[in-house]
Amino acid sequence: MASSPRIKVEFFYDVVSPYTWLAFEVLCRYQSHWKMDLVLRPFYLGGLMNATGNRPPMMVPKKGLYMHKDLLRNAAYFGVPLKAIEDPFNVMIEKGTLRAQRFLTVVAHEHPEHLEGVSRELWRRIWSLGEDIVEDESLHLAAKATNMEDADIQKCLNMMNDSTIKLSLKKTTEDAVEYGAFGAPTIVLHLNGRSEMFFGSDRFPLMAEMMNEKWKGPFPDMIKSSL
Amino acid sequence: MAATTPTKVEFYFDVVSPYTWFCFEVLCRYRPYWNMDLVLRPFFLGGVMKTTGNKPPMTVASKGFYMQKDLIRNAAYFGIDIKLIEDPYNVLVQKGSLRAMKFLTSINLHCPMYLENVSRELWRRIWSKGEDITEENSLKEAAKTAQMNESDIEKCFKKMDDTETKEALKRTTQEAVDYGAFGAPTVVVHTKEGQEMFFGSDRFPLIAQLMKEVWKGPFPDKNSKL
Repeated sequence: MASSPRIKVEFFYDVVSPYTWLAFEVLCRYQSHWKMDLVLRPFYLGGLMNATGNRPPMMVPKKGLYMHKDLLRNAAYFGVPLKAIEDPFNVMIEKGTLRAQRFLTVVAHEHPEHLEGVSRELWRRIWSLGEDIVEDESLHLAAKATNMEDADIQKCLNMMNDSTIKLSLKKTTEDAVEYGAFGAPTIVLHLNGRSEMFFGSDRFPLMAEMMNEKWKGPFPDMIKSSL
Repeated sequence: MAATTPTKVEFYFDVVSPYTWFCFEVLCRYRPYWNMDLVLRPFFLGGVMKTTGNKPPMTVASKGFYMQKDLIRNAAYFGIDIKLIEDPYNVLVQKGSLRAMKFLTSINLHCPMYLENVSRELWRRIWSKGEDITEENSLKEAAKTAQMNESDIEKCFKKMDDTETKEALKRTTQEAVDYGAFGAPTVVVHTKEGQEMFFGSDRFPLIAQLMKEVWKGPFPDKNSKL
């Protein structure tokens, strides 16, 4: 009897978003537990916000204050070493992640085997170490931490401003908009010829149910997993 | 050895909010499982939104579309019968829930043993059956279905528009805002170390962890299907 096909799971992400890092790590951990084909799709959250008229939650002061606590609690729950950013407006909005996401787009094209690793390192820089992710030097360091060759890294940096790359990032962002996205993470499950979009890092039990899989909490590898 | 004092859990709710209904039912189901003192606090979400500058999610079109799907999925997960509202702007914003929450406040003041059941019946009216919750008949029907007797219904309905009731609703709403609330549900867990505010119906694993309890999914009495 033929075994059931792997379910394609598209993961639209931008390293500016901490909740997205949480979802990313969970999906990476579950690659060996769920029958899924995880497809990483770096997009540009800033562009998505523009297209949909959405705004970052911190625009409502009480939401911002709550989010600070919520992030730390979730980081502990998911086992991700997130640390609050000291100057979020400067880091996330003024500096932003356009260059980082373009760089990831190049990596996706040229060295897809390193995409997961470089994404993780960029998240670590901005959301764990409080370091820059705009300058070429910063991007180089992130890629180096995944054992990419210097020459390959330089090639990727050089390609960042190519129109093909800019268009590719735009297209990925548009694809997310087509799925109904308004924020990050946006996760799209492809089942039985239809697509099901989920937003956020707090819908795993629902996604598991839809995929006919088991949600074992943030650490599926632990012998006695708790929800 | 003395039993440990139950953890006080304040539940700020408004029946206009469907996610709040999910949270409500889960907390009620967990009463025999968690060592908690669940305190129901009817407040006015419209008032919270105004004070905090927050807006309902449906003001962003794609959020509104997503929310419809998300509600149906969550309803199935939590085992609650939700029917999407056909004219949400009219029902949720124009008509709203001020009278319903005043009625529940009055019940909380004068016949608190009915608060849980009448709240449930009001949620059922608006979010399961698509029925009105603003008219006198609607409120009285909900109370009747919740097994309140006629005289108690009359008393609570009459006192709905007292200053005492208005002030109580205002005060409860302000308390939630003072805890940092910006929406519903707002759950405040009081531990020895202090109080922690949670928003939404998707933080139960974190709430359980804080209370040193076990989260067994939406149906704690079934054989743990998550």
